[in-house]
Amino acid sequence: MKKKNLRRTAFTAAVIILIITCFLAPYAWVVSSSLKNQFTVFGDVSPLSWRAFFPVGATIENYVTLFQRTNILIALLNTAIVAVAQVALTLLLCSMAAYALTRIKFPGASVVFLLILLTFLLPIEAMMVPLYQVVSGLGLSNTLLGIIIPWIASPFGLFLLKQAFEELPVELEDAARIDGAGHVRIFFSIVLPNVKVPMVTLGLITFLFCWNSFLWPLVIVQDPARQVIQVAVAQQGSLTQLPNWGETFAGATVATLPLILLFLVLQKYFTQGMATSGIKG
Amino acid sequence: MKVYHIVFAGLLGATALSATAVQAQDKPACTGESVTLRILRTPGNFPYPKPMEAWQKDNPCVQFEINEVPFAQLADTISVQAASSNPPDVIVYDGPNTQSYAASGILLPITKYLPKGWDDDVLPATKAEHSYNGEVYSPGIEQTTVAMYYNKKLVEAAGIKPPQTLAEAWTWPQALEAFKKCQQGPAGAATVWGLGPTRFGNGQPGLVYQDLPYQRSAGDPKADPSSSAFKTYWALSPDSKSVEGYLDTPEAVEALKFYQSLFNSEGVAPKAGIPNAFFDGKACFYIDTPAAGNALIKDPKIEWGTTPIPYFKTPVVHTGSTTFGATARSKHPEIAAKFVVDMSWGEYAYMNVSQRGNLPTLKSLFPRFAVYNQYPMKVFVDQLQSWGQPRPPGPKFAQYDKIVSEALRGVAFGGDPASLMADAEKKVQRVLDR
Amino acid sequence: MSTGEQTLTASAVTKVRPRKAATRRQKRERLVAAGFLAPFMLLLLIFQYVPLLVMARNSFYDYSLLNPAAEKFVGLRNFADMIEYEDAATSFGITFLFALGVVLFVIPVAFALALFLNSKLPARGLVRTMIMLPVVTSSVVVATMWSFLLDPSNGLINGALDAVGLARQPFLTSTGQALAALVAMTLWQQVGFGAILFLAGLQGVPAELSEAARIDGATRRQVLWNITIPLLSRTTLFVVVIMTVFSLQAFAPAFLMTQGGPQESTNLIVYHIYNTAFIMQQAGYASALSVVLLLVVLAISMIQMALLRSRWNY
Repeated sequence: MKKKNLRRTAFTAAVIILIITCFLAPYAWVVSSSLKNQFTVFGDVSPLSWRAFFPVGATIENYVTLFQRTNILIALLNTAIVAVAQVALTLLLCSMAAYALTRIKFPGASVVFLLILLTFLLPIEAMMVPLYQVVSGLGLSNTLLGIIIPWIASPFGLFLLKQAFEELPVELEDAARIDGAGHVRIFFSIVLPNVKVPMVTLGLITFLFCWNSFLWPLVIVQDPARQVIQVAVAQQGSLTQLPNWGETFAGATVATLPLILLFLVLQKYFTQGMATSGIKG
Repeated sequence: MKVYHIVFAGLLGATALSATAVQAQDKPACTGESVTLRILRTPGNFPYPKPMEAWQKDNPCVQFEINEVPFAQLADTISVQAASSNPPDVIVYDGPNTQSYAASGILLPITKYLPKGWDDDVLPATKAEHSYNGEVYSPGIEQTTVAMYYNKKLVEAAGIKPPQTLAEAWTWPQALEAFKKCQQGPAGAATVWGLGPTRFGNGQPGLVYQDLPYQRSAGDPKADPSSSAFKTYWALSPDSKSVEGYLDTPEAVEALKFYQSLFNSEGVAPKAGIPNAFFDGKACFYIDTPAAGNALIKDPKIEWGTTPIPYFKTPVVHTGSTTFGATARSKHPEIAAKFVVDMSWGEYAYMNVSQRGNLPTLKSLFPRFAVYNQYPMKVFVDQLQSWGQPRPPGPKFAQYDKIVSEALRGVAFGGDPASLMADAEKKVQRVLDR
Repeated sequence: MSTGEQTLTASAVTKVRPRKAATRRQKRERLVAAGFLAPFMLLLLIFQYVPLLVMARNSFYDYSLLNPAAEKFVGLRNFADMIEYEDAATSFGITFLFALGVVLFVIPVAFALALFLNSKLPARGLVRTMIMLPVVTSSVVVATMWSFLLDPSNGLINGALDAVGLARQPFLTSTGQALAALVAMTLWQQVGFGAILFLAGLQGVPAELSEAARIDGATRRQVLWNITIPLLSRTTLFVVVIMTVFSLQAFAPAFLMTQGGPQESTNLIVYHIYNTAFIMQQAGYASALSVVLLLVVLAISMIQMALLRSRWNY
């Protein structure tokens, strides 16, 4: 009996260690390589040694040159601005639209809902060429606004909040309505404060989507001073130059670290949001 | 809260923009109206500040605003900005694109702005590359080509003496022997490679610029125009409208089989890039432009030499570098054209070219570059003048480049040369036919 | 009874009330609704529907982004070209193969992980965090990581293979292995998300069912096979569709790691569209490809909705 338990425990432990290794190892390698100089990055890989994952004699020179020579810093800044703006605007627009659909009776509500439902199915990557033409036609090419504006009216956000509003009991608002409060007042002082969790979830998922977005900013922004972080990282080592591995790793670390930290702190909201809604931005 | 952010974003955007604007110090006063020329270029490229400032002394009413993008984004940026309502006035771009930009109406013809004597002084290859339908669209400013560098210590230790003049240049089979002798470590996983990886792109083989000459050199430019030897050499019909029978030829396939063996059966060249391989002593031979030599002259990390690019039947190297021109939709076409032409002529040309480290396009300037008058850099000049050919020119060069580079890369990775080249012909022809 | 009468009287009273007041209130409601909805719908129309129409229209033209004014009307030629030349079929085929590979591997692995996370075994929190890390990492960073992991000369995976005495692999430089390598990478990135979805599904399965079966003498495996999995069919379908749609939209791996090669073995359709529009300067043909991709995704989503509606609930 004991032997079986021991074997089972050993097997489980082995599986757990394997999983953790598979998922953690690449990150460990990237981060520790970003702290090495050109020569040791290669040296510790073949023949493979534990030093590949642990920066012996760590140096931050890659980060220094990264911030000095490339546009990473300004890209980070741009991404932060864009992400915050996109989250704020998405939350505002989607909550307002969800409120209208769930709390106000008006003709054509089902048509409107159908229109929104249909766009859910449109793959954004397939539409980048015409979207590019529309956005540049509006004069928003190469602007930060141009990066966020196609995504603020998010069908996913609408569905998430619509679901949340529908679960909110109407009695709270009825009381206020009898007192004579209009829709705007009710929206801001009663409904919104009671949907904090879905709003935070939507905000986080929007932030995630915005921070990680690559294809659209690549297409719409050409000026490196206005580019976002993922594109900046992807375009390092251009200028007909081979990538400097250490610098590229440093760039990748910088591009992903803020989001990982955010995720670690707010894990619950992330996983909950993804599970209940089931669609990643 | 959103207004705050929009304002903040605007402020940051403005700061970023102003950080890239060049404010000139003009001493003589401007008597006419002030003009700002917007220049789009890659970082570290011409036109350089010194000649620009000198030019401004003669043209005090002109200011500059410079926008830099990495080379990998240059083509995309140009296609977006040139077609917009607010295009840059001057663009720096990859030379072989001149005809396609001219055909799409992006570039301004500058034939009437060229100085007297330009026709005689400019290199024929340059003029051919930058002309379209009888008009010149870019004066060209520099030329470059590649040669084969070698690590003196490693090569001499292996008992090899590479040729130093064009007359004694190696054939590819001879070069392969040298690669094999010098290489250290097992084939395909060497510690010191016979032939180091390229530094262009992501380091993988296949770029038309560097690797198309393998098959072109198996052809014969003077053969009968309907023969496959002729077509192998030129790799595109003279009227730029047909490619069928120019890539998938018996001579090309032979040459490509050899090319493929470098990366596979002989294992003397790696399939993926290795940064700084040659400079770190990890490669015996290495193909690159004069830029590498100039860097080594400034900072001699290793002892080195140059040898001409090997060939099969007819030696050939690709010319063409970045160049610049005035945009057709510029709001100040006359001034932009004048600027472009001036920067590429006389003293200004010398200033620009010498800072960049490549070769000039004006024959009169060659004597001023002492470093090119003797070995090892003389190999570049000789190659340029005797063997130099532009990459197959035409309005659809960008697409040709992408498709054929893909095919060459496929060959290097082990694919069948004949079918890959046949496939490439089909794809390129489809683009040419539109 | 009395309330019913009261309601009846109330509505009768409402009906009797002058129509003007009701209409005015209705009008005001509509205005408010419009106010709340307008920003959203306006942006939706401009940035989702207008591009859709532009794309449909452009698919009948031949033009280049360098010089869009010089467009030529070519009718159905773009679509005919898709049949005549092989690039579209190859690209769609590659993309479907890629999607198939991802789905086939993600489903069992994610399910197994979800079972693990749903159990009482140790280190669950740690494992859950680990498998979610790639999900929140951008496709750019994942692609960068993996192109170095897979580098034939200096990559970590080849270094590991070497250390245990196995042969080094060409990975992305081989037509045979490149797509498989991308599938492996996508599996690594997405399995955490699949696991979370399955976990949510598992937690929705009433415990009484499996308990009752266990009391009746069923083994753990029988419970799993005959009760849990069938009840998760809805979740499974959901995960399949999510993974398929995600795979059909994959771009960064092809763009950053292989440029569609070698020999188009990884020429995912979205990359092919990008390449056709921005590098080959054939924006009309790219629009036609986009239209077909759109229809394919629509079809898959509709099939999902139909299937979901017909599944049994518990």
